[in-house]
Amino acid sequence: MIQTFAHLVALFMILSVSAFGGGKVVLPTLQHQAVENFHWMSNQQFVDLFGISIIDGPSMMVVTLVGLKACLQYGYVIAILGALIATIAMFLPSSILVLIVGRYWDSWKTSPWHESIQRAMMPISTGMILAAAFIIARHSIHTIPTAIMGLIALCLMLFTKLNPVIMIVAAAAISWVFLR
Amino acid sequence: MPVEAPNPDNTSGLVSTNPPRVSLWELVFFFGLIGLTSFGGGLTAYIRRLAVTQKGWLTDEEFFSALAIVQILPGARVVGISVYIGNHLRGLLGASLALLSIMTPPFILVCFLGLLYFHYGENSDSKALLAGVTAVACGLMASMVFEAGQKSIRGIFDVLMIIVTFLLVRLGHMHVQYVILLLGPIAIWWHRPRAEKKTDGIDQKGSIT
Repeated sequence: MIQTFAHLVALFMILSVSAFGGGKVVLPTLQHQAVENFHWMSNQQFVDLFGISIIDGPSMMVVTLVGLKACLQYGYVIAILGALIATIAMFLPSSILVLIVGRYWDSWKTSPWHESIQRAMMPISTGMILAAAFIIARHSIHTIPTAIMGLIALCLMLFTKLNPVIMIVAAAAISWVFLR
Repeated sequence: MPVEAPNPDNTSGLVSTNPPRVSLWELVFFFGLIGLTSFGGGLTAYIRRLAVTQKGWLTDEEFFSALAIVQILPGARVVGISVYIGNHLRGLLGASLALLSIMTPPFILVCFLGLLYFHYGENSDSKALLAGVTAVACGLMASMVFEAGQKSIRGIFDVLMIIVTFLLVRLGHMHVQYVILLLGPIAIWWHRPRAEKKTDGIDQKGSIT
């Protein structure tokens, strides 16, 4: 149990300070560690949990659920403790970084390197998100109906301002009625 | 309680102007409400409307300065902005409370849904339900690839970086921190400030939706 906690803390503290471009970029590493390295869950469970996690909160609430599942074998109370530990380890280091950089920002914000870093990091995070999309796709698009739903969601996201939570709830209802 | 003193908590050096006096309860309530209603993202614009336009807690300039900071740093943007605003208003205590309040509602909700999932996840009803949820999640992810690509591609080097990152992660199973340590310096060097070439200003406000 303590060992699982330690693994969660070590993993998420590293991912916290590696998430350049938002939480989604750490998804491939998270999947690899949670599924293949620590065997906390199956690929299908990982993708299911990712689907559940985007309903509320900042991106990467899936870390909460990974912490929950990692400790679920020790009972519900320990599982929630695991979720808490994972969440803190994921969101605290990056928040501290905001405070530290914010303190020295005024003397640094006119530096041209600022722009260099931003331009350099954006394509890297795009590559990560692309890899993450492949992982999600492989375990979510199994059939023609799921492929159609995914495509519709993609088009709605790109061309409308519809709230994604509405899409998720609608898709859950539709697939419950037709795919059951 | 020193009500008279003008912002005694602002020892951070983060700000140039004096932020208004905001009670800790108000901070907790504000960020708790955002955490509670943060369904589906698009929150940066929402926070700006509430904190800048409605409450007047910080100026637009300060807000975009905060946004520039969190965009260059790792981590979820909304969390970074909240921590920044909390610190701006009430120092370290404000930052801690902002983080705590914005995270608690989604934490409880997501934990609850997670426990439901592990309890009922194996029956056919929830499997059918989740098929739709994950399909939409995949669509969302794909849309993020388009958005991120649109923002990041300015030349052939950027395309190359996307492909190399993708291959390292997908085929090489390289972890994100090593990819950044490996490719980050190369890309930063490539985009280094050059005196003769006028750099086309990157759209720092562009990602506000």
